[in-house]
Parts: sequence; structure tokens; C-alpha cells
Amino acid sequence: MTCAELIQYLSDYIDQDLNEELTREAQEHLTTCRNCRVVLNTTQKTILLYKQTGRQTIPAERRATLFARLQAALSRDATGRDHVPTS
Amino acid sequence: MLADPELLTALHAGDPATLAALFDAHADKLYRLALSLLRDPIEAEDIAQETFVKLMTRPEQFEGRARLETWLYRVAYNACLDRLRRKQADPLPDDEPEADGESLPMPQSFVDWSATPEAVLLGAEVSAALEAAIQQLPESLRAVFLLRDVEGLSTEEAAEALGLSVAATKVRLHRARLALRERLSSYFDPSSVTP
Repeated sequence: MTCAELIQYLSDYIDQDLNEELTREAQEHLTTCRNCRVVLNTTQKTILLYKQTGRQTIPAERRATLFARLQAALSRDATGRDHVPTS
Repeated sequence: MLADPELLTALHAGDPATLAALFDAHADKLYRLALSLLRDPIEAEDIAQETFVKLMTRPEQFEGRARLETWLYRVAYNACLDRLRRKQADPLPDDEPEADGESLPMPQSFVDWSATPEAVLLGAEVSAALEAAIQQLPESLRAVFLLRDVEGLSTEEAAEALGLSVAATKVRLHRARLALRERLSSYFDPSSVTP
């Protein structure tokens, strides 16, 4: 496997979506190619970092307001009104 | 937790506990998707609200073929695209299948920052670099990366939520990962140049 092929298959390799033969070829390439190992390690770390830090939530005070608006909308809907304002 | 059809039945019966359960389970996810695309917390809240309102007032549009979560993502994503189209002079690219291989940019930076201490990686500076890197991605790549790698949807679920083929979703995810890796590598090794 060449470096270009390894990069082409990198996400499938990370996601364990490659067949056995390509997985073996990728592993063999990675044992001998330092640059591709770096790309693999840093890509996996990139994914992990975003997974760890990318989970913002609605601020608490805004969350309560938003939920109250939804409750009001549900209440109107239950009484048969069609139009629900969204802001 | 009730199954999706039971949840919907209870919701339309006016059960406040069901709305609370749905809100707790999905509001933040919809908010994150919208915030990632629109970059405006207030607009992101509006998208979350519009999505729930649509679920409550147009329940027939949820046919039950997809998971409720996937359906909510799709409604929110389409609402975000509508807002982006109104804002942007250049229309967003269509969701056509994308060729990979030949035009895939090759990595340029080979500094191994993967063993950087967690205290540094989770600090404010790196956090700002992460945010800057993802905001430089086109929206079409950002949404795939968020749903697949941050929210943990399967490729098939992300494809359904975004109205893409599985193949196009995989190509976009791959491009997003490589682009983010390159930009973060440039941050850790300023001597390298990110195209």
C-alpha cells in the first residue's frame, strides 16, 4: 500500500470499515511509514478532542425560557389552535 | 424511555412529562447542530424551538421510518440551510455524490502532537484553535463531522439526517477529518503551512 492509498483509506481504517486484506496492508504500511503513523495518530486525536470538547449545551437560563415557550405551544396545540409562534 | 411512536402519542395527548423527556433528550443536540452551522446562539435556540414545534404541530411528517432523533436532526438541518441560503450570496453546494481519491488533499504536516499532555489539549488556547479550525470548514463538511464524530451517529444515520447518500457522507467525513487534522497540526507546528 502506498502513502496516497493509506490516506485515501484512513477514515475507513479508523472506523474499522476496511476488509481484512486492506486492513492488513494498511497495518503493514503503518509499521514502516512514520509520516502515515503520525497522520493516523493525529487524526484519531483530532476526533477525540472534538468529541471531548464539542458538546455545548443551551445556557441554563435560556434553556428554561425555551422550554416554557414549548410548553405554551403544546398547550395551544392541544386546544386546537394551528398557528404557533416561534419566537 | 418510551419508544418513538409511544412518545409521540403521549406528546399529542398533552403529557407535559413527555415534552420534558423529549426536550431533555434532544434539545441540546439540535442546538449544537444549529450553532455549528449558524454560529449564533439565539438563532440556534430558534432552530431548536422550530424543530420541536414542527414535531408537535405537523406530526404526520414524521412517518416513523427513521428514528425520531434522525428526523429531528433533518428538520433542524433543513431549517439551518434555509437560513444560510437567505444570508449567503453563494448558494450552498448541492448534495451530489463527490468524487474522492484524486482531489483529496494530501497531508502536509507531520508533527506528532498526539502525545501532548491532556492538560494542554483541554486548555483554553487549544479550545480556541479547535473552534477556529471547525469554523473554517464548509458547512457541508461541518455538519457531517458534528453528527458522525461528535454526536456519534452511524454513517447511515448521519446520511439520512443530512439527506445524503452513505457514500457522499463518508467522503465528506473523511475530508472534514483530514482538514481539521491539518489545521490543528499547523497550530501545534506553526512552521508548517496549511493550504
